[in-house]
Amino acid sequence: MKHVYNIDSQFLLIDAIKANNSLVLKQLYINNYHKIEALVLKNNGTQDHAKDVYQEAFIIVWNNIKNNTFIPQNETALQGYLYQIAKNKWMDVLRSSRFKKTKLIHHELSIVNHHIELQDDEEQEVFKQKLNQTMEAFKNLGQPCKQLLTEFYFEKLSLRDIAKKLKIEENTARTKKYRCMEKLRELALVSRTEQK
Amino acid sequence: MKDYSNITPELLETVERYYNGTMAKDEYAQFKAQLQKDAAFKTQVEDVRATLLAIEKQTLKERLDEFHLEIPDQDHHDIHNRDPNKPTVKIHFLIFVKIAIAAAIVIGLGVFWYLSDSPNEKLYSEYFKPDPGLPTTMSSSDNYVFYDGMVNYKQGDYKTAISKWKTLEKNSKENDTLNYFLGVAYLADKNEDQAIFYLDETTKNSSSVFQEDAYFYLGMAYLKSDKTKAARRAFQQSNSKKSREILEQLN
Repeated sequence: MKHVYNIDSQFLLIDAIKANNSLVLKQLYINNYHKIEALVLKNNGTQDHAKDVYQEAFIIVWNNIKNNTFIPQNETALQGYLYQIAKNKWMDVLRSSRFKKTKLIHHELSIVNHHIELQDDEEQEVFKQKLNQTMEAFKNLGQPCKQLLTEFYFEKLSLRDIAKKLKIEENTARTKKYRCMEKLRELALVSRTEQK
Repeated sequence: MKDYSNITPELLETVERYYNGTMAKDEYAQFKAQLQKDAAFKTQVEDVRATLLAIEKQTLKERLDEFHLEIPDQDHHDIHNRDPNKPTVKIHFLIFVKIAIAAAIVIGLGVFWYLSDSPNEKLYSEYFKPDPGLPTTMSSSDNYVFYDGMVNYKQGDYKTAISKWKTLEKNSKENDTLNYFLGVAYLADKNEDQAIFYLDETTKNSSSVFQEDAYFYLGMAYLKSDKTKAARRAFQQSNSKKSREILEQLN
């Protein structure tokens, strides 16, 4: 019996991560960091390396939970998975002819959503590019839009709650959200044409 | 690049449903079919999907930097002071876990070992180990208090855990999870009478996943209060290996 609900608890954890529950994300992040840091420090890395590798791994784990590519098999599966990915990442860094700025490709692929069966590498490449450009654009998006989109898409607040906070009608909030999306996509597009 | 300007609010909300997995079965099938045959549509959908993922991912990235500031400093003594000529040792996760589990068991058993007196007491000490508890995930406000208490419970601070959980009691008298952990916490806090009360409540709920464990701890509570007969009855209801072992020794 105990075994069953321990695994259940992993599923609870996974649901909370899918919902971007800040407390849970924070706890998971904080509780598992030192193991990675110890590994990196003992293998020729610095604390900055540890942080970078750990954050990359954390985002990959989050992503793989989101698209259901990770399913826990035992009560510490998630924590072990996080460790394993961070470790692989660090091994990649070490292997990349000693910190030469080579691109790390091995585990990057798993970042792309498996949600849609992307037909070929080219489509994946296009998606990844769009993703990165939009992330950059979102970083620099004006505060009101950034906050609204964060609350709706990351915190998963309802439009009604957002409207209440802003003291506006729900429909106005919906329109605002749409306009902010348009603005974000425009911004991403600009950065894209600039790059070309 | 005109595909950037022609996404309607309706399409946005459709892709949101797709992205969140909240589409009804029919809508999903229809949507999938259109994705297959309409390349322009697919481009649009992919574009929105990339945007949605970008928002979440960038937000998470920024949050991680905030989280990082809250990581408590650890003593790096052993790392900085180690002999540079010594080969480095790689840490394996499994070993870590094994040591941690072993340590937890040793501590759990050890604490109660010292108290052994009577045969029942001795048996109790040999077998009592508080339930490991639930992982601390939280969502609603009530849950928050519960998991907040769970953090104390796991740290062995049973009194604080109990005082937090007691505040939840009046709204959820029938909650088997709450009753169960209150019971185990009381028992770990050496308050057998209260433990018996809450564990007894838990065992009454036949659909509870805690029922079997509750019978075990109920037996332990009776054992601790030297009520062998009642203890035996409780252990008989629990089907766990430990209960059977204890029963053998009681006979």
